[in-house]
Amino acid sequence: MQHEQCEIRVDGLMSETLIGSFPELEHVVVSGQTLLYGPLLDEAHLYGLLARLQSLGLHVVELRRLPE
Amino acid sequence: MAATGGDDDERDEPRPGRAGERNAVLPGGAGGRDAPLPGGVGDRPAPLPGRAGEPDAPFPSGAGGSPAPLSGAGDRPAPFPRGVGGSPAPFPGVGDRPAPLSAAVDPLGDPFLQTRFALPSRPGTFLRRERLVGRLGQALSTPLTVVNGSAGAGKTLLVADWAAHLGQPVAWLTLDAAVDGPGMFWAQLLQSLNAAGVPVPAAIGFPADATRAHHTLLSRIASELAGRDRPVTVVIDEFDEVADPEVARQLEFVLRHARPGLRLVLVSRSEPLLPLHRYRAAGEMTEIRDAELAFTTEEAVELLDLHGLSLSVPVAEALVERTRGWAAGLRLSALAARASPDPELYLKEFEAGRSTIADFLLAEVLDRQPPETQDLLLRISVLDRFRPDLADELTGRRDAATILAGLHRANAFVEDYGHGWYRLHPLFREILRAHLRSRAPGLEPRLHHRAAHWLRRSGTLREMLVHGAAARDWTYLAGALVEDLAIGQLLTGLGSGEPVDWFAAMEGETPDAATNLVRAACELSRTHRSDRSDRAALERGTAHLRLAAEQLSVEGRGTPAALLSHALLGALAGRLSGSAHLAEQATRSARRLMERMPSRLLDAHPELRALLLTHVGAARLWAGRLDEARAALAQVAAAPRTASVVLPRMEALEHLALVDHLNGWPSAAERKVLAMTVEAERYGLGRPQGSGIGQLVLAAVALGRDDVDRAEALLAGLPEQPPVDPVAAATRQAVTADVLLARGRTGAALTVATRPVPAADVSPWARGRAALAVADAHLAEGRPDAAVDVLRQVAGDQPLCTVGTARAHLAAGDPGTALDLLEGLTADGRSGPAVAVPAALVRARAAALKGDAATARRLLARALAEGRREDLRRAFRDAGPWAGPFLAEPPLRALAAGWLVPEPQPPGEPAGGGHGAVTPTEELTGREREVLERLAGAMSTEDIAADLYVSVNTVKTHLKAVYRKLSVHRRNDAVRRARELRLL
Repeated sequence: MQHEQCEIRVDGLMSETLIGSFPELEHVVVSGQTLLYGPLLDEAHLYGLLARLQSLGLHVVELRRLPE
Repeated sequence: MAATGGDDDERDEPRPGRAGERNAVLPGGAGGRDAPLPGGVGDRPAPLPGRAGEPDAPFPSGAGGSPAPLSGAGDRPAPFPRGVGGSPAPFPGVGDRPAPLSAAVDPLGDPFLQTRFALPSRPGTFLRRERLVGRLGQALSTPLTVVNGSAGAGKTLLVADWAAHLGQPVAWLTLDAAVDGPGMFWAQLLQSLNAAGVPVPAAIGFPADATRAHHTLLSRIASELAGRDRPVTVVIDEFDEVADPEVARQLEFVLRHARPGLRLVLVSRSEPLLPLHRYRAAGEMTEIRDAELAFTTEEAVELLDLHGLSLSVPVAEALVERTRGWAAGLRLSALAARASPDPELYLKEFEAGRSTIADFLLAEVLDRQPPETQDLLLRISVLDRFRPDLADELTGRRDAATILAGLHRANAFVEDYGHGWYRLHPLFREILRAHLRSRAPGLEPRLHHRAAHWLRRSGTLREMLVHGAAARDWTYLAGALVEDLAIGQLLTGLGSGEPVDWFAAMEGETPDAATNLVRAACELSRTHRSDRSDRAALERGTAHLRLAAEQLSVEGRGTPAALLSHALLGALAGRLSGSAHLAEQATRSARRLMERMPSRLLDAHPELRALLLTHVGAARLWAGRLDEARAALAQVAAAPRTASVVLPRMEALEHLALVDHLNGWPSAAERKVLAMTVEAERYGLGRPQGSGIGQLVLAAVALGRDDVDRAEALLAGLPEQPPVDPVAAATRQAVTADVLLARGRTGAALTVATRPVPAADVSPWARGRAALAVADAHLAEGRPDAAVDVLRQVAGDQPLCTVGTARAHLAAGDPGTALDLLEGLTADGRSGPAVAVPAALVRARAAALKGDAATARRLLARALAEGRREDLRRAFRDAGPWAGPFLAEPPLRALAAGWLVPEPQPPGEPAGGGHGAVTPTEELTGREREVLERLAGAMSTEDIAADLYVSVNTVKTHLKAVYRKLSVHRRNDAVRRARELRLL
């Protein structure tokens, strides 16, 4: 099965602790924003990620899905 | 409440008028204010005086509601007094107004959590913002208000403050993940109305199944709210916790139909799945979103002032910009700044930073707390809500009460929910949990385990399960379920969802006995649910059960609870596999075990006894021991009602109806199913419930009345998948075959009737009914000898088979054998009119063939009298055309008139002028027809409204038009008239 990639751009610099809540994603800091990226399993995963971001009070600036 | 078993009632005396009273009283009484039951019951012809064929004796038994443990269920039950044995008795407790289900427990049998209904208190630092209060004021003029904002935007406190000052009752409901499924949701919502002092009457009913809420319950809630003098305001906080889209759909339905009686305020992080665009376009929605919730600079200055920080406007401006006016950000920055030596400098530095706000600030605030407080906050982050003693359980210390009170005073993190309960702000809880994971890896599951342990003692089953599952400690969880006797709850609703997946996910471990028992319960419960019956699950369940049995005996330390759980599941497995022997054996050992269990534990689980009796009753029914089956099932019907016994109770009632049907008492069977249906709707259960036996009985009754369309429609409403339960499967085949025969589709009927029903034992009635259908097919195709052949093996099994055999012999030209066969039948005290009428018709035909017209007339007269009372038209049609000339003769014609043949025209009146078969002057519209059809299907007005997605008033309008066009004034008359006119 082909996986998609997702890229989520979050406003601000996330602490290591908070990044620990997204163990399935890589991260990189770009100009004051945190970019989380990694394989997207399915729709449920996507909405789960969004809910997790929301519950931690994070501000999503951009969300992209890319074919792998 | 249950049977009084008075001496008078047990005597088998003909009681003229008594049966008629029942006819009128029973369905209405059970239905309460709900629905008159049109069609079928109210409008049956009155019984002929002096022939009250059904002694309406309540059950003589120890079943009078007293919790005598399984009296006579395991062993052979005490025989019924002579004369009562066979005829149908009403089940006690249905006719009288039922004691409402205790409103103190939810559908899982757990007490309601007060904290869900408490208006959240505002901290001392809460800032009332008039512009938002003013916006909320508009909520009073729109049916729907939605407050949407990100976590920590200040939604809850805003609405709570508004509600507290509203000066009228507000029902408050805070949802959480444990409120799972429509049934649970509506139970909580109704409880929130109770808690707010604006309860709905108990007659509205109550959802008994956590996973379902039938639309009729919703209709009743809506019409109750719509009819109130003052609208009620309901706030649902954390609506985003609702995972099931069905809940949103149902809520919208109630909102739409409760107008103007309901004002709904939804507080949510994400947009609720209601058709908001429609409300928006119609100007019927008040909306408050992030942009409005955000603090202005002036408000930020005021807020920080309340926290003891006085800020210059430029600093405040920068802070608002940095936090986007986010309430949680402002509050945290105030807490962090307050603890620093130079608050203003601290805030300036914070403004310049780039960290994500909540995360950064919370870490700052947390780090400034004493170590014990930090430890406590991190550990309680695994909990939704907690009392100090639960927090102590997680820390292993005894200081939680002091620390929590201190945190609450300082307005930091902790919210006081009253009744000794606290909770963390959801946003802070999530971030704290992230800290817990990084600071103490591996601690989280252990904390869940400890929470589960505490909740098992002092909390609810559902919460215990949530934490046990989060700990992934399946062995512990299974042990707790078994030892606490919760295995029955897995069969009455809990077992349909998550637990199945949890325990299926166990890998790499050797399951112990308790785990095997829980797995067996999940599988058997899956087998047994009507919506997805699954034969493979029966085999898996039985396999788990076998493993558990081996483990329990080898380990030699099977606790009474484990052994009892095993016995209960064994009874169900025996029943589902069609083995009365296994079910009886299991029930006997269950009874022995129950004697050794503390009565406190048994009293807390009335579903165990109800399930056992239902299973053994159904197994006896399969084995053809109908009286013994009824003895067990009637005890379930007579037992006090609580939420946890509703499902077995419904099953018991439909099996009792099936017993009546098999014995040949169609009206009694029908009454039981209709009363059951009404009751099921009160409890928010849908139709068809159970295995569909109730609907099958109704179809069989309709067929007996020659109403083939209705029988067909009832069959069409069943799930496509045939049930695993052999009783339901065999009944379904028999009724389906009979309907096909009535349609002249003999080939298809043969295919259905000869399909084997997988079961361990042969069921005499199932075999007999199948053989009868095959024989009827042969007769229909002119092969009477083949019919005789088929019936030869089963002739003695059942009275109806005897009648069928006699009919086949008659058709084969052998009236002598036919009469000999029927000779023995009259001695049978059990059989009702549906056996007696066809028997009389066969004998009448035989007499006519022999030239004994007088005997034929006498027998026909008897058949007509009995057949009229039960409206057994089909029996006369099946008998053939030979009776036609007899029925044209005056004395018999009078008996047949009005139901079997048309009423004679009064002399002098022009044909077609009276109530004959004329078409109405005005055609019914399509909608009116739809309403009429549902009316005939015993649906209430609310029921019809919900079914057609229109308001109750619209239905009433249609009904009025129907009455006018049919020239009637009552629903029963409308249905009867419509049948006469062949509109139905």
